Amino acid sequence: MAFQMGEETRQVQATWDVTTYNYKVDGRGIKLLADGMKDKKILGIRCHNCGTVYVPGPPFCRKCYIPIDEIAEVKDSGEVVSFAVEMADVRGNPLDEVRVSGMIKLDGSDTFINGRIQVDDWHDVHIGMRVKAVWVPEPQGNLSDIDHFEPI
Amino acid sequence: MRNVGIIGVGYTPVFVSKRKDVNLAEMVSESVEAVFRNTGLSPDDIDAITFGNMQTFEGVNLPHLLMSEHIRAVDKPIIRIATGGTTGMSTLQAAYYYVASGIYDVVLAVSWEKQSEGDSQVGLAGIVMPEAMVMVQHGMDLLGGRGMGGMGGGSTGAAAYQAMSYLHHSGADPEHIDKMAALERSNAALNPYAHLRKKTTVEDVQATPFISWPLRYGHTCPTSDGATACIVASEEKAAKLADKVAWIIGVGCCTSDPSTANFIEGQMTDPADQTVCKIAAKKAYEMAGIEDPAKEIDLAELYDGFAHQSLMWLEKLGLCKEGEAHKLLDRGVLNIDGDLPTNPSGGVFSTNAIGSSAMNRATECALQIMRKIEGEHQVPKTVKKALAHGWGGLFQYVTVMILSDTPRKI
Ligand SMILES: [Zn+2]
Repeated sequence: MAFQMGEETRQVQATWDVTTYNYKVDGRGIKLLADGMKDKKILGIRCHNCGTVYVPGPPFCRKCYIPIDEIAEVKDSGEVVSFAVEMADVRGNPLDEVRVSGMIKLDGSDTFINGRIQVDDWHDVHIGMRVKAVWVPEPQGNLSDIDHFEPI
Repeated sequence: MRNVGIIGVGYTPVFVSKRKDVNLAEMVSESVEAVFRNTGLSPDDIDAITFGNMQTFEGVNLPHLLMSEHIRAVDKPIIRIATGGTTGMSTLQAAYYYVASGIYDVVLAVSWEKQSEGDSQVGLAGIVMPEAMVMVQHGMDLLGGRGMGGMGGGSTGAAAYQAMSYLHHSGADPEHIDKMAALERSNAALNPYAHLRKKTTVEDVQATPFISWPLRYGHTCPTSDGATACIVASEEKAAKLADKVAWIIGVGCCTSDPSTANFIEGQMTDPADQTVCKIAAKKAYEMAGIEDPAKEIDLAELYDGFAHQSLMWLEKLGLCKEGEAHKLLDRGVLNIDGDLPTNPSGGVFSTNAIGSSAMNRATECALQIMRKIEGEHQVPKTVKKALAHGWGGLFQYVTVMILSDTPRKI
């Protein structure tokens, strides 16, 4: 009789839970940003050579390839450079409430951040729209100290 | 540098969502058997193998060695390539480098994915794991519910930013994405190796729900199981081994900053900028001696995980002016019988065994040039020069390959 391979040997489950990675990450820029938010300040790093302002700040300028560490405060207002209106989650399940997620260039910064934009009607959101941060009543020094952005 | 041509292509019999009847190695071997069958060559004719699939997607870390017998690589040189969505074309470009340099004469390039056995979201999350963990430590809501930073929506979320920016800068309407989606799905219906094969109308697309405005469910690619094998040869060997050849006359690739990935060091840039695509294309055109791509390229196979991207790439690749792609679409230029057939195969948008997706752009161009397309998606026009494009990475890595019916003058 010929060997028959059963269905159960054709499909086996395997879960990866074998280790924990230990990454070294340079978190200076994001710590600077988060710590400043306790005082409702948005802090990045400016390149002393070309003037580019990064939020959060990297340890080196991506244009000049030199170490940078000059602290630069930017405004909590800015311009929408792109946006998406989330209607389903990562797995495709519909959200109860649609959510406008903005890519925002803060005034004084040369890079973009993401943030939720609160509006009554999402159709009103457009590229180039001016927005301002709405802070939580008691900032803790983390990225959630800005609750959302709203149109100016 | 020597001339190199594609002399044969082999696909798995189907590209579908779940190949439960075969395991990883068995599935990949089907494409290798197919390319030997289609060319009449045997493993003895092959000097070396290049091999590509996505990192982490199936959770098998050395697949090229594990399945070395199934891909007929035993006792031969082999290298594995993984560059993200572009993997398939990088794998083919590596085969090209081998032969162009004179190291080997005949190289087999194999690429594949069996997404049903893995988890692509885990694979994608693994790209930015250290940064994501730091963001969480600093109070970021990764799913975007509140605060600064969170993006939400997985790769569709980031693609939606790209689509929105593209629409804004090009003047195209969201309806043009619906129209491009319908065109490509209808092309896929003609292609026996496509995954989603249903003649599709604009209304069909518009009946699908939005995931992340302006992108609908009907604008997104499937996840597929499938494999592709392709044999490239030197000019001398091709003359002996092949009746028809599609010559690789230009290659280019380019990376930039991780445009959507590394938030913690202020690296985010406009995902629709795609200067990398322009640079990669320029290199490929220069090598191919192409001065006016809009006039000289007869057909394009573009990497479009999302339907807006075909239009965006046409512009970034210089196949039309910026802001013009949707007008070409409206005029029927991009149709299978148009002046610039775009994704006659149905594109990645209709078939996405991701490791092979970028290779399939090139193999489809090659088969169109050789007029060896199986199925009904052979374009009526004569294809002298075709452009294949791959995209992926952190939204900022692009590969380009120009294929031709005649070799480069060296
Ligand atoms: Zn600088």
